[in-house]
Amino acid sequence: MDFKLLVRFQDVHLRYGSGPDVLHQVNLTLAPGSFHFMVGPSGAGKSSLLRLMYLAHRPSSGRLSIFGRDVSQQDRKELTMLRRRIGIIFQDFRLLDHLTALENVALPLTITGQSLDKVRRNVSELLSWVGLADYLDAKPPTLSGGQQQRVAIARAVIARPSLLLADEPTGNLDDKIAERLLFLFEELNKRGTTIVVASHNEGLVNRFNHPVFKIVNGEVRLIRNQQNSPVTPTAENM
Amino acid sequence: MFGNKNDVPLDRDASSRFLPWLIAMMVYLATMSLIIAITMNKLANRWDQGLSSSLTIQIPAEPSAEKRRTLEKQLKTFITKIENLDNISRVEQLNDTELNKLMEPWLGKDILLHDLPIPYLISIELDSSSAKTIDEIKLILAQDIPNASVDDHQRWLGNLLGLTKIIQIIALLVVILVGGAAALMVILVTRMGLAIHRQVVELFHHMGAHDSYIASRFQFHALKLSIVGGLSGLLLAGITVASFSSLLGQANSAILPTLTFTSGEWGLLLLMPLSASLIAMMTARLTVLRSLALMP
Repeated sequence: MDFKLLVRFQDVHLRYGSGPDVLHQVNLTLAPGSFHFMVGPSGAGKSSLLRLMYLAHRPSSGRLSIFGRDVSQQDRKELTMLRRRIGIIFQDFRLLDHLTALENVALPLTITGQSLDKVRRNVSELLSWVGLADYLDAKPPTLSGGQQQRVAIARAVIARPSLLLADEPTGNLDDKIAERLLFLFEELNKRGTTIVVASHNEGLVNRFNHPVFKIVNGEVRLIRNQQNSPVTPTAENM
Repeated sequence: MFGNKNDVPLDRDASSRFLPWLIAMMVYLATMSLIIAITMNKLANRWDQGLSSSLTIQIPAEPSAEKRRTLEKQLKTFITKIENLDNISRVEQLNDTELNKLMEPWLGKDILLHDLPIPYLISIELDSSSAKTIDEIKLILAQDIPNASVDDHQRWLGNLLGLTKIIQIIALLVVILVGGAAALMVILVTRMGLAIHRQVVELFHHMGAHDSYIASRFQFHALKLSIVGGLSGLLLAGITVASFSSLLGQANSAILPTLTFTSGEWGLLLLMPLSASLIAMMTARLTVLRSLALMP
């Protein structure tokens, strides 16, 4: 087992129930501190791949290792502890409308038993960092889409995750704001967080110099490496 | 360890509005059933204690004056013998006034007892119920006055006690059934809550919340609602009992029960809302844990 790899898919297949393969023979690795894009048309399997990474499913077959642990071999309690090291930004944000921005961001900490009073300062600082210092007590329905997204980002990173997964975070944004959001992710990446961003906007992705996986019909291929040059298909990257 | 207690918005669910009412009705039924069981038990004990230690001896009347005088002598001898036995509290031959009073409901006032073949009645009360003493009395009676009959009330007392036992068993069955129905209701309400808040539950799960953390949201919600419902049900039962107690007091009948409870019985009644709350809490917890166990 290679402990230097944060995520490792080996011949992973995923199907829901008795349906066909949603993901087919996936082989990919993510090194700690890396930044990857994942592109592909809607329904290609990007979200399913992310769901495997944030442990919402176990592979139907093949081997998936996260933080050096084989997911199929871990019991539910161990998976819970692994999940705490993963931050997720959902396409629809999934903020809780009855909680304030501060309470929403604090959730990954309060669910581990920490009291809101103890984490209030850290949460406030993070909300200030994403430009929402004046909206600590605002509830999501009163915030704009962009502000809600920043709350969702703050919530995903408050517990200092080793791995940050973003599912179509730029989906509803215009290009300029989307670009600023990706700069924010780069900032987090520079601080050591491994980042995977799923997006169907290949034009936007091409403006950044990070490796890109493409998913088509459940098959994953590395189509561009760090040097921003196209990758020739080989047995390794297929 | 409880984090933010309001992070799952269960208070806003429709189920939150009707659960306390359902629990209140359940606790009301269970408490009333328990009260019936307790009261029947006390009533049965009272009847048992009151009648199993008493006997009534009936001697047929003699038409001729001579035979009557002989019989009265035999009665006096019999009463003296009985008084000398152990475990005898009181022996009394009912006089004309007492016999009149007994016959009054059927024959009216001012009846002439000597015109009617009214039997002689002897009432015997024991210090404590004892089969040995009753056997001794029967033996003396057979020797002294062979044509007399003994009524130790066992036949109708047995039937009555059997009936009260059946009522008690039914009442306790109702308590158990009500507990089961309450648990089923909580399962349904919890499943409804899980379905409504599925996305929140999944979010917590994906963020690394332990199953027990998520379950605690539902179990404390169920506990809170069932405490409110349980206390309301107990209060309603209290009002019902107070009303019945007042009516029974006005009736002032020795055969009717009195609705008074010992501290232990009050404790048992207070256990009803407490049990309902604990059943609701544990049922909600187990329902959520079973549902979460299906997630990886």
